[in-house]
Amino acid sequence: MSATRRIRFTLNGQAAAAEIGTHETLVEVLRDRFALFGARESCSQGLCGCCTVLVDGHAVSGCLFLAAAADGVKIQTIEGLASGERLDPVQEAFLECGAFQCGFCTPGFILMTRQLLDENPAPSEDEIRHYLSGNLCRCGAYPEIIEAVKLASHKVKSRTPGGAAP
Amino acid sequence: MTPFDLVEPPSLGEALKLLEPDDSAVRPLAGGTALMLLMKSGFFRPKRLVSLRAAGERLARIRIEPNGELRIGAMVRLAALEWAPEVRRDFPVIGHTLRTLANVRVRNVATLGGHLAHADPHSDLPPVLIALGACLVLAGPRGERAVPVEGFATGHYETVCKGDELIVEATIPPLGRRRAAYAKCTTRSADDWPALGIAVAWDDDGAIRSPRIVLGAATERPTRLKAAEALIAGRTLDGALLTRAGEAAAEEADVVADARGSVSYKKQLVKVYVARALRAAGAGPAAP
Ligand SMILES: Cc1cc2nc3c(=O)[nH]c(=O)nc-3n(C[C@H](O)[C@H](O)[C@H](O)COP(=O)(O)OP(=O)(O)OC[C@H]3O[C@@H](n4cnc5c(N)ncnc54)[C@H](O)[C@@H]3O)c2cc1C
Ligand code: FES
Ligand code: FES
Repeated sequence: MSATRRIRFTLNGQAAAAEIGTHETLVEVLRDRFALFGARESCSQGLCGCCTVLVDGHAVSGCLFLAAAADGVKIQTIEGLASGERLDPVQEAFLECGAFQCGFCTPGFILMTRQLLDENPAPSEDEIRHYLSGNLCRCGAYPEIIEAVKLASHKVKSRTPGGAAP
Repeated sequence: MTPFDLVEPPSLGEALKLLEPDDSAVRPLAGGTALMLLMKSGFFRPKRLVSLRAAGERLARIRIEPNGELRIGAMVRLAALEWAPEVRRDFPVIGHTLRTLANVRVRNVATLGGHLAHADPHSDLPPVLIALGACLVLAGPRGERAVPVEGFATGHYETVCKGDELIVEATIPPLGRRRAAYAKCTTRSADDWPALGIAVAWDDDGAIRSPRIVLGAATERPTRLKAAEALIAGRTLDGALLTRAGEAAAEEADVVADARGSVSYKKQLVKVYVARALRAAGAGPAAP
């Protein structure tokens, strides 16, 4: 019976390892072993996006992702998005637009936006709404969130030579 | 959730050996999105999960065969299918359907094999795959067999896939001159499970040939609406035919009530959405 195991992965650019139970979720392990509290469990069902982390660059619900499946992957959490003191353009845009009230949902929205802009640097409002339809904000900051994504898109474009995302 | 034995066999053959058909606490694990919900609610307490993550290249690839057939491995993630260039080009209806299935995060993890094996009657892809005439390849201790997606699900969460079998891949015949569309209705939030989904497809030679009209989500399992199919076969689409097809479909559909709508409401939806799906398929370009 192998009900525990050791996993190794890259966490926000650094090598990491943990002893985990096979039944533990990624969001539990990030919080309990690594004291990373940006991804937080809310609905526990994949519906709200508060537990979003990026696995090999793809957004996943950490509440539905077995930690064991993180063996060998690259994980990025909200804590790893800024480079030192310099915020990611998506983070700046959320601050400048006031795209939150309590902030509980914000890490999830920011990581989803990060993946959206990596795939589609200039999304239409329709595309933004569609992409973020699986994220819930209980404070109802949706109008500001949409504005923040548009602003982030401008920032990303103007920071990248030639205007297009890498 | 409670601890369990988690194994990650390096081949399909090894994976098959680790299944135990007589023990329902031993299950294959794909993306885990459906199993996690069952485990979290305490509904399923596994003894052993057999992860198919490393079970070989055949389960992981998408490719078009020389004859135009699309072959999709069971472990292909729904997002990979949604974005695959060959799928976008040759089977646009699949990408279009996936775009509104669950949310981005679920599609990034959930797999085609898990989606089909789970056999939730509300699933979006089975009606589309049935309309396109898709088959599944199942592997078991006695070798492989092909089964049509039509007839694969036998009821709520039940399929013809036995406890010692695994879905290996799905095959979809080339679209050729087939037109196809999927129309779904969510009655709560935009990303909710559908109250109903209608997939339609037919060969277009000026008239409608070999039509399929498949209803999902509102029925116990995805169901072809054969009276409506017979009504449109050999005809050309016009407003009157759309109305009559919708009415025939609503009449024959054996819909069930749930939190997303009553029987009479869903019958009305069938009428409207059959016409919508037919109109959408008729308006889109037929594949060359
Ligand atoms: C928040 C949320 C919203 C959703 N909304 C929708 C929606 O709108 N529309 C929709 O259609 N679906 C929806 N789904 C369901 C989703 O499509 C399924 O959960 C997913 O496709 C299951 O795939 P998986 O790879 O995660 O399967 P898993 O959870 O790994 O497995 C599911 C089942 O399949 C079995 N299995 C897996 N692979 C194989 C194989 N190769 N051979 C035999 N058996 C196998 C497992 O043992 C298990 O019984 C939603 C899910 C979530 C979490
Ligand atoms: S807590 Fe994971 S999606 Fe809501
Ligand atoms: S800011 Fe409070 S939940 Fe979104």
